Amino acid sequence: MKGRSLIHLLSISWQIQNIAVAAVVILMICLLTFMLAYMLSQSLQEKKKQKWRMISDMLINKAIFFEERDEIEDQILASVLEAAKKLTGNKQFRKFITGELISAKKNISGTSSDSLKQFYLQLGLEQYALKNLESRQWYVKAQAIQELTIMDTDEFIDQLQAFTDDKNEYVRMEAQAAMVQFKGFEGLDFLDVITYPLSNWQQIKLLQLLSARPPSNIGIDKWFNSENPTVVIFALKLARNYHRFELHDAIASCLDHEDPDVRLEAIRCLNEIYTDETSDHLIGHFLREGLRNQVAMAKVMQTVGTKRDELFLFDLLTYDSDELKLHAARALVNASEDGWTSLERLSNRSEDAIARILMHIKAEKAA
Amino acid sequence: MSWQTFILHLFTYGILLYSIILLACYLLIGTFSIMETRSYLHKNSFTDYRVLASSTEAPSMSILAPAYNEGPTIIENVRSLLSLHYHNLEVIIINDGSKDDSLARLIEAYSLYKADFFVNQRLKTKPIRGVYRSSNPVYRKLIVVDKENGGKADALNVGVNIARSDYFVCIDVDCVLEQDALLKLAKPFLESTTQRVIAAGGVVRIANSCEIEGGRLVKVNLPKQLLPRIQTLEYIRAFLLSRMAWTKLNGLLLISGAFGAFDREIVINCGGYNPKTVGEDMELVVRMRRYMEELGEPYKVAFIPDPLCWTEAPSTYRILGRQRNRWTRGTIETLRSHKKMFFNPSYGILGMLSYPYWFFFEFLAPIIEFFGVIGLIYYCFEYAVNWQAVSIMIGVVCLGILYSIFAILMEVLTYHQYKQKKDILNLVLAAILEPFVFHPFVVWSAVVGNFDLMRKNNSWGEMTRQGFTANKKA
Repeated sequence: MKGRSLIHLLSISWQIQNIAVAAVVILMICLLTFMLAYMLSQSLQEKKKQKWRMISDMLINKAIFFEERDEIEDQILASVLEAAKKLTGNKQFRKFITGELISAKKNISGTSSDSLKQFYLQLGLEQYALKNLESRQWYVKAQAIQELTIMDTDEFIDQLQAFTDDKNEYVRMEAQAAMVQFKGFEGLDFLDVITYPLSNWQQIKLLQLLSARPPSNIGIDKWFNSENPTVVIFALKLARNYHRFELHDAIASCLDHEDPDVRLEAIRCLNEIYTDETSDHLIGHFLREGLRNQVAMAKVMQTVGTKRDELFLFDLLTYDSDELKLHAARALVNASEDGWTSLERLSNRSEDAIARILMHIKAEKAA
Repeated sequence: MSWQTFILHLFTYGILLYSIILLACYLLIGTFSIMETRSYLHKNSFTDYRVLASSTEAPSMSILAPAYNEGPTIIENVRSLLSLHYHNLEVIIINDGSKDDSLARLIEAYSLYKADFFVNQRLKTKPIRGVYRSSNPVYRKLIVVDKENGGKADALNVGVNIARSDYFVCIDVDCVLEQDALLKLAKPFLESTTQRVIAAGGVVRIANSCEIEGGRLVKVNLPKQLLPRIQTLEYIRAFLLSRMAWTKLNGLLLISGAFGAFDREIVINCGGYNPKTVGEDMELVVRMRRYMEELGEPYKVAFIPDPLCWTEAPSTYRILGRQRNRWTRGTIETLRSHKKMFFNPSYGILGMLSYPYWFFFEFLAPIIEFFGVIGLIYYCFEYAVNWQAVSIMIGVVCLGILYSIFAILMEVLTYHQYKQKKDILNLVLAAILEPFVFHPFVVWSAVVGNFDLMRKNNSWGEMTRQGFTANKKA
């Protein structure tokens, strides 16, 4: 009996195996068919886009050469807009025409740019974007914010403001960028409330957007006390980039911040915004720091160090880290005229590393 | 039941069980890969890399390119590296004791002079003969280091010592990079706020038959030769499916030695590249991860699916065999060095999932496959054809082809590098041919690699390349 049931079991597993092989082959055929269908649909879509491109090209042309428009031209434009509006019910067309208007808007400014915004509004595309702000998918929401921002629809600024502390990083990034795009430095007031970290990427993006604006003397120092360490870091970058010398003491007080990344940014900031007392601040905090921040401090000493800091800098030459020694030696050379001679004297009676560092600095100076 | 039948059943069902687990892994890899790739593509649609290209706030990057006997192509390759789009960049070429005239060519082409350069020897390396800088300000980003031969890992360690940036990118000097490759690779380091990104990798693609002009990729073509074409498929499978899936799980163990970016501080803290292994790329990533796990700090190894780096694949079985032999030895050496992590829950995903996966399905797979096929052939000749075992084999082969077709589909749906329909058809044909003309050879090379390691053969295995000159547009 046992033998018979084993044979039965084997025969079943044999059948399962054959079914599995057949299933794999069928799945393979399905995948290939899907791939073929996808490629065909793509090429059909491409053909459709060629037709739609005539509409988008005409709209963009009319926007660029708005001065050459006469009555006949305006009638043509009205009929093109009418035809395009009818097509906006088609999701693919909407996506296409929005994409075309956005990429044109990015490269055009002035009255032409305003015309593009008008076309965008006349086609009612902003209504779809506003609807997308309610989407549950983060990328649809973020895309809608981006679209409304690029198309300069500042009338919806209040709706967008609500997303500046959204739980999705891309949604809040786009909303924060929108605020800066619409309001410049004033738009940074979201920094007062955000609870999520501001990534380095976002900081670079915001600084880039701000660089297109005239400098402003807005109160940066309030953000030095933010509970969000990334906000403090961003504020320090603002102070550094916009040379806010009056904030020196507030920046120096960030050397006491509990977050080492904030302290590092404060050290870097002091390289640009410094007074006669900066080196005292750095020296006072030096021993509390880890190697990374100590190296950063030694680098800053090359800019802010003076003859009275020589003792401290000579002390750095006794540390184990060669990187610290290199920066300290550079700082010594910069700090006073006889720094070089003192270093040469030291190199004659000390370890090989100092002599090699000295040669390195000599080569740098010569280059 | 006779003992022969018992062994046969044990063998057959053992292989079946292994195949079922492998199938489950493939399914999971496919699913995770779709999720991660979708998420990446959505996120990437909001990224304007021009912002980073022009920003002075971009983190500094050092490119480390070790070169050994690359004389005929080195000038062009360095020119290509110098033309990459990135603001804060230094390019460090490490001449690893080349026996040809690589250094002389570089000196002449880039007006180099021997500079007094203090090297902070944080990682131990073979002696440096000299550090060269250019007297031409146009090439101020360039540093050339001449050192005694010590292998790729040693050369990279010299580069790590010399680099001044927080991040470095190691590349094979003969690779062709996309112009925005560094911008894309820098992004993961900048956007993470909760975890420290310790390394980031990008997709490496096969450049055989592609059109290259002045060190830049001009037109993507599918390789005309069968072996490189199958490797194209293999790379798509590995990068677009496997690595994306492991990235989703934060369990990626390998960043290709041909192109990857690393956090310099972590690399130095965990001792740099290991010159005693031929799989220095994988070993470093595993060691960095282990270091971070032991430190208890949140971290991530990032991977992006954009094709960023193009490399020449072996076009003969002889060179392919050497390469795969070396990869096998590298894998085993790495797994052996970090065996402490094997099913060790204190290493999290790394110990409980990534390491065991590599052990069972990367290291053991070719051995099981090799002895399985030998056993089956022996049984068929000695007793009778075991149709059940043959059926399992056919099933596994079909599964492999299915997985490859899925990879092709992912490629079509995402980056679609091979636009022509005949290219896709050729890739599908390659998927069908692979189990018969390519895979058995790769399995054989891996088995030989195991034997070579036992015999303590730790040679790198010469990689003769044809170079891209032949592919240049007329």
